[in-house]
Amino acid sequence: MSVRVTRVLLTKSFIDSHDRAIKTIALALRDGGMEVVMVDYETPGDIVGTAIAEDVDVIGISFMSGGQVATTQAVAAALEAADCADIPVVVGGTIRPFDVEQLQRAGVQAIFRGGERLDNVVECFRELARRGPGAALGVD
Amino acid sequence: MTTRSNLSGARRWLSERAAATVDAAAARWVESRAARYGDKDFEATNRSGVVVKPVYSAADLDEIPPDDVGMPGEYPFTRGIYPIHYQYQPWMDLQIIGYGVAGQLRRRMDLLKERGGSRGYFGGEAYNLIFDMPTSMGFDPDLPAVQGAIGDCGVSICKASDFETLFDGKDLSKTHVSMVCNAGSPGILALYLAAARRMGFSGDQLGGNITNYIWDFFGHCGGVNFSPRGSYRLCADVAAYCAAQVPRFNTITVSEHNICEAGADHVQAVAFSIATIIAINEECRELGIDLDTVVPRFGFHVRYGEDFFEDIAKTRALRRLYAKVNRERFGCRRQTSLQARIHAQTAGSLATVQQPMNNLIRSTCGALSAVLAGVNGMTVNAYDEALGIPTEEAVTLSLRTSQIIAEETGVQKVSDPLGGSFYIESLTTQIEQRCMSLIEEIDQRGGLIACIESGWITDQVAQSAYRWRREVEDDTRVMVGVNRYRTDDEPELPVFQPDPEAARLALEDLERHRLRRDRSRTDRAVAALRDAGHRVMDGRDIGSVTAALVAAAEADATLGEMQAVLFEVFGRNK
Repeated sequence: MSVRVTRVLLTKSFIDSHDRAIKTIALALRDGGMEVVMVDYETPGDIVGTAIAEDVDVIGISFMSGGQVATTQAVAAALEAADCADIPVVVGGTIRPFDVEQLQRAGVQAIFRGGERLDNVVECFRELARRGPGAALGVD
Repeated sequence: MTTRSNLSGARRWLSERAAATVDAAAARWVESRAARYGDKDFEATNRSGVVVKPVYSAADLDEIPPDDVGMPGEYPFTRGIYPIHYQYQPWMDLQIIGYGVAGQLRRRMDLLKERGGSRGYFGGEAYNLIFDMPTSMGFDPDLPAVQGAIGDCGVSICKASDFETLFDGKDLSKTHVSMVCNAGSPGILALYLAAARRMGFSGDQLGGNITNYIWDFFGHCGGVNFSPRGSYRLCADVAAYCAAQVPRFNTITVSEHNICEAGADHVQAVAFSIATIIAINEECRELGIDLDTVVPRFGFHVRYGEDFFEDIAKTRALRRLYAKVNRERFGCRRQTSLQARIHAQTAGSLATVQQPMNNLIRSTCGALSAVLAGVNGMTVNAYDEALGIPTEEAVTLSLRTSQIIAEETGVQKVSDPLGGSFYIESLTTQIEQRCMSLIEEIDQRGGLIACIESGWITDQVAQSAYRWRREVEDDTRVMVGVNRYRTDDEPELPVFQPDPEAARLALEDLERHRLRRDRSRTDRAVAALRDAGHRVMDGRDIGSVTAALVAAAEADATLGEMQAVLFEVFGRNK
């Protein structure tokens, strides 16, 4: 049986600025042997549509200038509606302390703020992908 | 004395006798270094590729033509653009402010002023405004795709009346209004100019700055911009309009800062900044614009905080390159076309979430290097910006940082205090030379716009960003509190929470605005904007797009309505 290459969607709002972090993470995941699809989204629906079309194992959403809670909640709801709530979601960027609880409640599997080690990030994506469909449903 | 005879002709700064003394001292130093440290290597390679020796001497000046240094206030302005600088006019404090809706932001502006900030030149006021992302990109708050971001990381503005609220009662002829914005820049400028006109001010009374980041395809501006060619055409249009109608307004800020923040090293960032100027100048020249009418209102935004002395040297190299390129390559004659005005900002990307109070020290070092480099305006980031929008306490501390440097340390007494330093002069020249090679490479690749279109530019920047991050990971680059001197339990800092009501206020206000305005008047003005756009895209009537934007803003068109027309005519980047 051939080993399936892990596929990751990395995405950022079309109105966000400063894409240094998402590009760095993309290069790190690529060097970690994963295939990375990187797009800007306009609506949460774009994220879910791309995730399904590209058959990704993990979704990573980057936020520099706001919108993290509302967007992530909407993505979770759209995944649910598309019967894809098993695709794990990871969030990174400028995440304020008071955002964390709401993001976790929306089902986010990991939150990476500035200064996180790249190998931790890569390992987290790898682990979420390895757990396979359903990983996002089990809380651990 | 064989060494010296080999160098004859290259000894530009020293008499024969002084050179002999310098050479003798250097020889003694080589000997004592070898005796004490053997053949151990003490050279350092900066991220920009510049190799730094452990010590410099007068012999290092040989590489530098004395004409390249000169005095402050004279070509090529290496040492600063004014003969006398801070002794006469200190830098302008440009703390970045913006959140919520106009009425809410006005309260923060009043607070800063009350604490001695907002200090413009010659007794005037100065405000450096940042807009929420929908505004910055040119979208109205009622666009479904921007919900959640309204008033969150900047102020929400979408119509001329918002600027009237923001500046209510202000004497705009004495208020420097700096606006930091991306693809929405032309429309935002028009909203401000329309508001000022309604408040009774004519264009020639207004001073300020629009960053006009539509030139920026380096990784700062996110997903929304015009097509590269459309962007540079619009930059020319804004420049030509302002030259004629709002002559004190700075029409573009080429942001070395943003290019650094996207991950570029200093040589890349300075070279790409100058390449941007070259691209804009070429566009203006091809459209028949006299460069000496528009170039004096171009300026720079430069980042400080990564490498203390290299930050100073890159600034001096930038000023020199700008002067040389504008005079030699473009034939500019006016002195103000050759003077690079610089707005400094400390490095946000070097601020850490971990041990955030450390950021106060980082921005102090960055701000000090900016002052030693002779910058004209200053933004000191607040220490808590890696966590969110700064609190009032943090904003006040960043203002105090600038005030302590200005009024306690004594650094304002002498212009270009590091001028003539063997190290700084050598570093300045090395950076200048490396930048020139990179600019030549861009020329060979067909110019900046071709390099943007091919993806070469963003690739270069992303590779640099990744290299930087890996240096942090493998501990060759120290970040205190991140990869060294970590602490496990960090005290929770207060984080500013914007008013969640801002979005509701903005949406209700916009709905009222759309209902109350004279719709047919707005529609006519928007149609006229489209016509102007097509003319300008054809290379005719340059400046008429900005004129039509101001007219549309006066006719109550919203930012998003104007932006939709601009995208239609000038193209989206993707």
